[in-house]
Amino acid sequence: MSDQSNQTTFWKSLNELAKNKEYKKYAEREFPENATEMTDQVSRRSFLRVMGASIALAGFASCRKPVQKILPYNKQPEDLVLGEPNFYATSMPFQDTVTGLLVENNEGRPTKLEGNDQHPSSGGRTNIYNQAGILNMYDPDRSRAPRNNGEQVSASDFVTFASEHFADRNRRILFISEANSSPTYNRLKENALQTFSNAEWVTYEPFNEDNALEGTNMAFGRRLRTVNHYDKADVVVALNDDFMSPYGHKNSVENAFKLTGRRKVTSTEDSMSRIYCVENSFTSTGSYADHRLRLKTSEIEPFTYALAAKLSESLSGLSAFSNVSNVFTNHDWVNRLADELISNGGSSVVSIGFDHSAAAHAAVAAMNRVLGNAGETVTYHEVPFSDDRHQTEAFIEAVRNLNSGAYDTVVLVGTNPVFTAPADLNFSDALSNAGTTIHLSDYVDETSKACNWHVNRAHFLEAWGDGYSYTGYRSVIQPQIQPLFDGFSEVEFLNTLLTGEASNGYDLVQDTWRNYFTSDFNRQWETVLHDGIDKTTSGFDAVNVSLQSGFASNIRPHLSASPIDGIEINIKPDATLFDGRFANNGWLQELPEPMTKITWDNVALMSPTTAESLGLPPEQSFKSNDVPTVRISAGGNTIEIAAWVLPGHADDSITLTVGYGRQNVGRVADGVGVDTYPLRTSEAMYYQSAQVERTGSMYEIACVQDHNNIEGRDMVREATLEEYRENPDFASFESIHGFAVPGMKEAKEKGDDRGPVSLFNEQYGPDHQPQWGMAIDLNACFGCGVCTIACQAENNIPVIGKREVGRRRIMHWIRTDRYFEGDRDNPKVYHQPVPCMHCELAPCEQVCPVAATTHSEDGMNQMTYNRCIGTRYCANNCPFKVRRFNFFNYTKEYLTTGDDPEIIQMAMNPDVTVRFRGVIEKCSYCVQRVNKAKIQSKIDTGSKKPADGSVQTACQQACPANAITFGDLTDQNSVVSQHKQNERNYVMLEEMNVRPRTSYLAKIRNTNSELA
Amino acid sequence: MSKTYEYVPEPALVKGNHDFKSLTALITDINMRPTPKGWYIAFGISNILLFVLLFSIGYLIWEGTGIWGLNAPAGWGWAIINFVWWVGIGHAGTLISAILFLFRQDWRTAINRFAEAMTIFAVMCAGIFPAIHVGRIWVIYWVFPLPNQMAMWPNFNSPLLWDVFAVSTYFTVSLLFWYVGLVPDLATLRDRVKSKFAKIAYGTFALGWRGSNRHWWNYEKSYMILAGLATPLVLSVHTIVSFDFAVSLIPGWHTTIFPPYFVAGAVFSGFAMVLTLMIIVRKIYGLEEIMTIDHIEKMNIIIMVTGSMVGFAYLMEFFIAWYGGVEYEKAIFILRATGPYAWAYWIMIACNVISPQVFWSKKLRRNVAFTFFISIVVNIGMWFERFVIAVTSLSTDFLPSSWGYYSPTFWDVITYVGTFGLFFTFFLLFLRFLPMVAVAELKAVIPQADPHNYDENGEFNPPKVEIPEPVKDSAQKG
Repeated sequence: MSDQSNQTTFWKSLNELAKNKEYKKYAEREFPENATEMTDQVSRRSFLRVMGASIALAGFASCRKPVQKILPYNKQPEDLVLGEPNFYATSMPFQDTVTGLLVENNEGRPTKLEGNDQHPSSGGRTNIYNQAGILNMYDPDRSRAPRNNGEQVSASDFVTFASEHFADRNRRILFISEANSSPTYNRLKENALQTFSNAEWVTYEPFNEDNALEGTNMAFGRRLRTVNHYDKADVVVALNDDFMSPYGHKNSVENAFKLTGRRKVTSTEDSMSRIYCVENSFTSTGSYADHRLRLKTSEIEPFTYALAAKLSESLSGLSAFSNVSNVFTNHDWVNRLADELISNGGSSVVSIGFDHSAAAHAAVAAMNRVLGNAGETVTYHEVPFSDDRHQTEAFIEAVRNLNSGAYDTVVLVGTNPVFTAPADLNFSDALSNAGTTIHLSDYVDETSKACNWHVNRAHFLEAWGDGYSYTGYRSVIQPQIQPLFDGFSEVEFLNTLLTGEASNGYDLVQDTWRNYFTSDFNRQWETVLHDGIDKTTSGFDAVNVSLQSGFASNIRPHLSASPIDGIEINIKPDATLFDGRFANNGWLQELPEPMTKITWDNVALMSPTTAESLGLPPEQSFKSNDVPTVRISAGGNTIEIAAWVLPGHADDSITLTVGYGRQNVGRVADGVGVDTYPLRTSEAMYYQSAQVERTGSMYEIACVQDHNNIEGRDMVREATLEEYRENPDFASFESIHGFAVPGMKEAKEKGDDRGPVSLFNEQYGPDHQPQWGMAIDLNACFGCGVCTIACQAENNIPVIGKREVGRRRIMHWIRTDRYFEGDRDNPKVYHQPVPCMHCELAPCEQVCPVAATTHSEDGMNQMTYNRCIGTRYCANNCPFKVRRFNFFNYTKEYLTTGDDPEIIQMAMNPDVTVRFRGVIEKCSYCVQRVNKAKIQSKIDTGSKKPADGSVQTACQQACPANAITFGDLTDQNSVVSQHKQNERNYVMLEEMNVRPRTSYLAKIRNTNSELA
Repeated sequence: MSKTYEYVPEPALVKGNHDFKSLTALITDINMRPTPKGWYIAFGISNILLFVLLFSIGYLIWEGTGIWGLNAPAGWGWAIINFVWWVGIGHAGTLISAILFLFRQDWRTAINRFAEAMTIFAVMCAGIFPAIHVGRIWVIYWVFPLPNQMAMWPNFNSPLLWDVFAVSTYFTVSLLFWYVGLVPDLATLRDRVKSKFAKIAYGTFALGWRGSNRHWWNYEKSYMILAGLATPLVLSVHTIVSFDFAVSLIPGWHTTIFPPYFVAGAVFSGFAMVLTLMIIVRKIYGLEEIMTIDHIEKMNIIIMVTGSMVGFAYLMEFFIAWYGGVEYEKAIFILRATGPYAWAYWIMIACNVISPQVFWSKKLRRNVAFTFFISIVVNIGMWFERFVIAVTSLSTDFLPSSWGYYSPTFWDVITYVGTFGLFFTFFLLFLRFLPMVAVAELKAVIPQADPHNYDENGEFNPPKVEIPEPVKDSAQKG
């Protein structure tokens, strides 16, 4: 036998047979590649590459678990069943608050964030930032290593540098930090200020609550955090305060579920609170309000003082305002609001947006105090970590000192002032006056590029931390995964600067918490980790407040505030990107903005009248995505941005949002939209007058809803509370149209009340239980869009990009339709979430030539991707247009771009198939969750009928307003059955006799007949 | 006795006093003469367009359906419009050859071969679109009821499946019908061509035709049976195509008027296309004596009648939209006339309803150049009719939130243009290699075929030319 080519070969694997390079390398090594390199921090990336791809996966999956040592499963741990996710409690920090979350963890890989129902800030609910947080962690564009002058260095290089540089304890250091509620962080901050005696610390957040804190200081003599208890309020007056939206308020989730909870109506006996909204732009909160008045932002403060003046006529304590006389004195709304507030003293809330001056906040605080709301519906709390002065002013002052060479070192912890600081501060020039600049951040962003040192930050799901919720509940942030790209958490970073040594976040956090649990630490610590909240605390203590004696003289100079003449601009955080921190998040970029339904861009919002006065068309073209642009000049800078007409916006006012127009930050963020920060000045952070003119050029906008008028159709049904009490059946087809659904009478005579006679099999699996159905309460929905993101995370829905969205090919399985109705200046707005209706007589099923979409015996309209050939006939024949088509290989593009696509692949839900090009997909009622519950129920009880509440769809679970209920319709006691028995229950297109399983509960507005 | 009726003499169906031999020569010489230069130019251009088609299909399959302008409300666009348009054009041939045959309309013989060829090529063009418009063409065979282990059958409720059967049956029967009619003429060519290769080729397809009485008997019977089979298909195929729309529940699609309306529209566009091609061909090949101005006039009358039927259908749609009281249907028709696609709607009305009405004028319907112009206008109009139906209904249906404007992309356009390449490539091959008029049948209807030479008054009129000598060629006995 020759030992040449035709010698019999024995092979252990196909790789060996193929004798490819990888195999040779593999065979030559004693240990698999990653095993020897595991300790080497730099090559963590190569570990990842193997991680996603190959043999190592099964054995090393446990590495993703947040343990301190990496070990393979020699014996499988008791609490881990492959294929069964574990849930851990943690919290998501956002500015100086945290929201309690539960993390779904699949074999060591977090895939989905849900609210922690034991945590009062979430109540089991989430907002869009929470839901999208998971994608931020798996963002391959995150910084992966520290950099020194742009060169990548290792983490130990940075530690070495820090130990040398900060050995000199007399350095003049300026710390610029994000707002952070972490007790550990604040402990280290105190340490730092003690250790470095020449150091100064300022907190810079481009959008913050400083004005509110200053306002309470002016009113009550103390900087206090205002907490509004919307669940206790009968009347809410929101003055330019979008407190339900995550960009508008740090505590939006709690605000939303408390407010909507007070407005649940199950029978005509129920009452609901009444919301008045006075605002500039049309916001989600404004659209949810019962009455809305549009005013320019600069008119809000005069309006507030006029309201206080009106109240001072009847209530004592507001004498400071008695002399106020401005354009709103005797305004109809001022008089009505004053009446309402007085008659609901002690059970009302007046709130005002953070954009407004401290004086305006003081006025609102005084009104709440005088109305008896303070201590009842509005509480004031001392925040232990709160700074003692207005931090934006402190920041501005610090930048001036920086320019005069007062500091030799600047340490920036997480914030991005080169991008976000007011333009007139020239922050990047100021930075160059310090010899050493160090920036901790997620991305190599604008500020990182301007600093000598960039340090990559670990994501909150990767590192230990802690924090307080808005109302003061303390939680630990437990990591869910070993850091993908290493990185320092904020506390590790600070501690490294202090000690000059690499730090361990776990120990740092425990050190802090040992102060709270002086006895039996381990048990209490583990309880906190388990619950996600320290139940021994009950939030910040409420403070009894009274107006301080100097209040009147303090506030009087501010009361003459007058509106801006001509056009004003407002700079606001973006609904989806906030201040720009979420700019590289594809889910958020592609989430339609709640009111405009624009994706992937920011625009200049204006009223139709203002548009006309600028020579622009008062409405968008239906045929074209091109919209005219305007040139806006303010504070010495000029930008060009697309103009978008938002009916209901205040006239002579333009709203701009920030966070866009990024360069070299990440693949998603780059080149999207226009940077509007240049228009912001330190004098006018939120609004100022501006010159606006049309440019004549056009810009393409990808908007997902081209037609905004409901055309008088009955998709959304609405009544006032009074009308509902008079006619509880107002939402029925007959009440609306004056005649019953054709064929219904005949069907009823035959004893079938399910609908007119049909050609097709009337009911699927007639004896089968359960039968699934969904009810969506339009009285709760305020259009935030978290259902869409939650669905996207749960169901592996791809991001398709602006061009494809512009071609109307968005893939979202649940969308929120937004309709305007009525007068273009003061329209009513409806939000309607639309998932698949799961019609019993589904028109899509009848037309599919290959039977790729069929009915399950438990009443779900199923989509079999493997069978689909992509005729799109089902999508055409769907009256609700909920079916989505993979026009291109979106998923492949989404999941395989870049050098290490394994990272984004790890974000996918393993229970849901990813879809190939050329097939239709749509809402499945989260069939993977339903089936999991059915299997569990079968194991536990022997019945395939899960208990009510044991299945929650992703959209339902995320919704802060509790608008969506889902469950078994054969269970008469299930919540969804009860909703469906409610008089307000209706289905869209009832006359089509498609018998949707998804129904709606009609909206009710609690209007004040005197203002109607 | 006073006359109670008057006999209107029909003009002779073939002008120019042809005898059998000259008729054979007139038509088959076209195939036997050397290929003209013009043919090569036309064939070259067609080939280029054909490659454009193949390339655009290749790119489509490589990239995905997304290269077209389709979007979320408009899941169907140009592909389906083109499909319906080409199928509609493919109606005229079988209507002319089968229905007019059964009704003994002898004038059909001058154009039936030609129209049938057009039908077959048009159906081929049509058939491409439903195949390539699907998302996953590689599994398109799942629409066929192929037995398989999973017992997974297609969904027989789906009109798209009916389409598969309707169009393929129509194509098969049309092809057979056309071929059977060709057999005697193929034998003529076999006997006349000089080249051996051509003789074998024509001979193979002539199936050994010798013109015996028995052959003729079989031929006539089979032709009659096929005409009988094809006749219901003429009506059924476009009826079923219309079901793609009518069976759905989209406003503007869900209407019972669709089957007759689609059939009338198909005949309308088919005749227009026959006229377009015929007017060019009769000029180039000098066939004015066979495809006479009387033929053109008759076809124009059909165009006028079917055009009026289509116009009536448009009116009825509006009436029913109002009378039916369905708000979505009402809205869609108002939007068609006044909404974002009003331009397309009024092009359709102008081309399909208004333009054929000019044929009330005898002078205009006998004007060849004018007829050519109208035939093009009608073809454009019928394309827009399908555009209006397919796109407007989808883009503005039930939920206003989902409304969206559809516009085609470059690839939509060139795929459509490319199908003309396919069509004309085949059509030019047909003109070059097959007799474009049914010679054998035509001989039966020329004046000289009447052996009695009696006129309508019963008076004997001796032939004005010599009675042709007995032919030696057996193939020309008929």
